[in-house]
Amino acid sequence: MNGWILAATVVLAVGLGTTLWGVATGPLGRRVVAQNLSTALVCPGLLLLSQGYDRTSYVDLALLLALLGPVGTLVFARLLADELAEEQPRAWGLTWAAAGLGAVVVAVLCAVTGPGRSMVKLLIVGALLVGGNLLASRAMSGGFPGVSRG
Amino acid sequence: MADAVVVVALLAVAGLATAAVANRDPARQALVLAVLGTALAVLFTVLQAPDVGLSQLAVGSALTPLLIMLSVRKVRRRSAHGKDSKQ
Repeated sequence: MNGWILAATVVLAVGLGTTLWGVATGPLGRRVVAQNLSTALVCPGLLLLSQGYDRTSYVDLALLLALLGPVGTLVFARLLADELAEEQPRAWGLTWAAAGLGAVVVAVLCAVTGPGRSMVKLLIVGALLVGGNLLASRAMSGGFPGVSRG
Repeated sequence: MADAVVVVALLAVAGLATAAVANRDPARQALVLAVLGTALAVLFTVLQAPDVGLSQLAVGSALTPLLIMLSVRKVRRRSAHGKDSKQ
């Protein structure tokens, strides 16, 4: 067990633990926030796992999650728009913390891998993760009033 | 010690599956199910089956919630419509 897998274990334990608690209890707005954060917290864990197992093909999982996680949150933001309009769920502190975690993990892995094709892939994953997460958070908190008509 | 990450993934899947069953509202169940899909993908990855994890991620994180939420919306709309026509 090397340090990368240990770091991935910590990130996954904290991420999945908090999202389990958030998604299983509380009002609907908090559950949607937790579902959005699960993507932002599990994706860095998958990146660390791919480094820990020393298999670069595992980065594909993080890439797909960074692409599809915000899509899933947007599905909920669109189809639960009527319920969420009353609560206006926003957790910008948590959102920025998760985005910062993703950025730090991507930066560390880029520094380890060095310049090359895999570094470009890592940067794409990081950009998709942070951008998609912020977009989904904004859509959730009613940031796009024109499209929330269900 | 190397199995700690497997234990973490297994515990998360067990907890999320229990939470998905314990909730009664279909919309909230769909939310838990989306997170459960992600946790299952992590479990498959740490068990060295990333191909299964990839397909689980594609289906579980976006497609299943979309299908469930669309059906919930249609059922709710239909029942509201039925009430209106009765009145």
